[in-house]
Amino acid sequence: MQQRREEILAKKAKLAELKRQRELRASQGVRQSIGISSELASPTAGRSDSRRDIETLIDSLVGESRPASVRGGTGSPGPKGSRPNSVISGGEYSQENSEVTAVANGPAAPIQTLTATPLVTIYETQPSPVKEVFSYSKAVQTTEEWTSLARPRALSSSSDIDEPTTPTKTPSKRLSRRERDREEEIREKLRKEIEEELRATKEFIDHGTAKPSNSSFATRTLTSEELNALIHSDDLVYFLDHSTKVAEKALGEPDILTDYTRQISDQDDEDDKLGNTGGRGRRRIREVLRFYDERWSKKRMVSSIDFSPKHKELLLASYTKNPSAPHEPDGVVQIWNRFLQDRPELVFHAQSDILTAKFSPFHPNLIVGGAYSGQVLLWDTRSRNPAPVQKTPLTGSGHTHPVYAIDMVGTQNANNIISVSTDGAVCGWSVDMLAQPQENLYLTAPPPAKQEDLSPTCMAFPQADPTFFLVGSEEGTIFPCHRYDRAGAKAGVDARVAYKGHAAPVMSVDFHPARGPVDLGDLVISSSLDWSVKLWKVRAPAATSGITPTTTVNATTGLPGAPAVPDGYVVTPLLDFVREDVVYDAKWSPTRPGVFACVDGAGYVEVWDLTVETEEPVARIAPSQSKEAGRLGMHSLNKLAWEPSEGKRLATGGIDGVVNVFEVGEELGGKEGVKTEEWTAVKKLVGRIEAGNAVAV
Amino acid sequence: MADAVMGNGADALEETLGRLNKKAGVKATIVLDRTSGAILKTSGQILSVRASRGDGSSSVAGLTEGQTETQAVEELAGMVWNFVNAAGGLVQDLDAEDELKLLRLRTKRQELVIVPDPKYLLIVVHDTPPA
Repeated sequence: MQQRREEILAKKAKLAELKRQRELRASQGVRQSIGISSELASPTAGRSDSRRDIETLIDSLVGESRPASVRGGTGSPGPKGSRPNSVISGGEYSQENSEVTAVANGPAAPIQTLTATPLVTIYETQPSPVKEVFSYSKAVQTTEEWTSLARPRALSSSSDIDEPTTPTKTPSKRLSRRERDREEEIREKLRKEIEEELRATKEFIDHGTAKPSNSSFATRTLTSEELNALIHSDDLVYFLDHSTKVAEKALGEPDILTDYTRQISDQDDEDDKLGNTGGRGRRRIREVLRFYDERWSKKRMVSSIDFSPKHKELLLASYTKNPSAPHEPDGVVQIWNRFLQDRPELVFHAQSDILTAKFSPFHPNLIVGGAYSGQVLLWDTRSRNPAPVQKTPLTGSGHTHPVYAIDMVGTQNANNIISVSTDGAVCGWSVDMLAQPQENLYLTAPPPAKQEDLSPTCMAFPQADPTFFLVGSEEGTIFPCHRYDRAGAKAGVDARVAYKGHAAPVMSVDFHPARGPVDLGDLVISSSLDWSVKLWKVRAPAATSGITPTTTVNATTGLPGAPAVPDGYVVTPLLDFVREDVVYDAKWSPTRPGVFACVDGAGYVEVWDLTVETEEPVARIAPSQSKEAGRLGMHSLNKLAWEPSEGKRLATGGIDGVVNVFEVGEELGGKEGVKTEEWTAVKKLVGRIEAGNAVAV
Repeated sequence: MADAVMGNGADALEETLGRLNKKAGVKATIVLDRTSGAILKTSGQILSVRASRGDGSSSVAGLTEGQTETQAVEELAGMVWNFVNAAGGLVQDLDAEDELKLLRLRTKRQELVIVPDPKYLLIVVHDTPPA
């Protein structure tokens, strides 16, 4: 026995050597099939009991391969393992041992003699490679339709069941009939199992009894440690953050199942039930929403508001820093959803107070903002990170002073961010590249001013022309500016025209949106800390080139100023709305030609309709005071924005960090029912005032 | 935004759930593990969800308050979990590439808002506004 075992060992070793040689050759480009098949041959040989079988096999192998081993002779384990009594090769191999040097030139031409025999031998063991392929395709097919047919995919047991069933899918021509039958059997068994389980589940549902089904089983096995680990996973936190928003929005939605055919219980006399309202009848204004977040709105002031151009229910508000929370980011932008009142849909941060922010009108995911540090910031709502995705550098050619006004102008395919800082720098940026401004412009006060410094506080572009804009200055004048050189005017402040009338810093300028039968795009309203709102008619940038200094139209300030201002042309306001407090913001309604709204330092929102009344507002309302604001006596409202597509809602924000949304009555907002007469009425009003001014001169 | 929430894990979790619970009409919230159906978090009055159950009220009468509550939670969780899986299966059958995103189950008395996720399930039970 001992002897025999040794013999077998020796043969195995030889086989291994052969195998190695072949592999070597195969790796050098000879047909690979040989290498594989010889690998497979060795276990077969080892397994066979009959000694004669082995011997014949070895004979055939060794005998054939001898020429190769002589030439390529690598004298490794083979000779060591061989004993004197080993069948053939012992002596020969030890002879070869001396020819070790021949290794290098081994893998040459004569290999082909070797290849012939192994091929024959190996064919008998062919099934095994086939089997390998077979098991592989099994694994691939586990997720086939059995899952969805039989069981919901969440069940863990289903994956176990699937595996054996799948081979039916293999295009297995090589599968023997017997194997197929076996599969059929397995499948049948599985089907029964699944049916049984389904029946069990059904029973469980039917009776509602706590049978040991999967769910209750899991409930019991979950230990407190497991629970803790699960609860503290970021995944769960993120899921909850997201899913509770979904659920809250679902709760906040209007009731879709309301049955209007049934009697409604006394909700008709609206005025009593509406809560905080102002104005009367169809010119009413009503508070509908209040946005405030304990963490992110507290002790911050609202610095700007903008409605999303894409989603009507979204609006953004930017905030200044919270002085009592030095570890929170200074600047915050919150996106509020109409259906999600008590917390923001999204929050974005910045290192510095954000003074202005708005949605990109050309890309619904992007938000641009201007910071106290002078940075222009860009956030992306698709980013999970609250930090800006892009920001301008603080050094170099950008802004180094606070950016109070920012806008995006251009078209869908070619647009720029235009920002202006309080030192008079105007920069044009590309959305894709905020590393460096594409345009640089420095605004300086034109000659009649005592000093050159011009400190812009706000900016407005007309609807029609992205190369011309107005800036309101700290000193009270509104200057027309050109982005580029044009006929008769250099880029920068147009020295020939100045809109003078405000005696204190201008807080806002707004061009008429003018989407109607009559072009009112040259009308501008401005608000100022001098307790007034003023209506202006802006001269078209092209028309200003024809003006000569002598055509002074001014009624009040023009005459004494005229000698000192040889080439300056001063325009005074068409209308002056004197208010009872500082006015922080004034905006035209996007749909009604004569309607605008303003917010003041006393905390009132006023809605004006020029077609009705030019002496006093048609509606006036103060937002219901939050506890905190009431205690600190902070009522002032800073900013105002109209919802652009329908013009029915307007949002205000103030010093107390609360954003309120108001809804205006049918006569003040909404797209429907705007009569052409309203447009012509505004036009006539402007004409009448202009004529009056001309007569006064 | 997300990492602001993740900053203080469990607190934020309590806070978000608490806020949801404080909303008018919300009776109960349950968070389940999607694959196993294990209950991760519950809040609110689960018993009130099944206030007038045909057979249940009598059978649980003898048990103490705590026991009935946990039992009710488990039962409800199991029912919802099976319901979600059935719905998920339907969606899979309709379109294998598709995915279940939200389930709102409206009844005469209440509404179940179920938000499924590959890993978790959120169930919110709330009163329907009186029609």
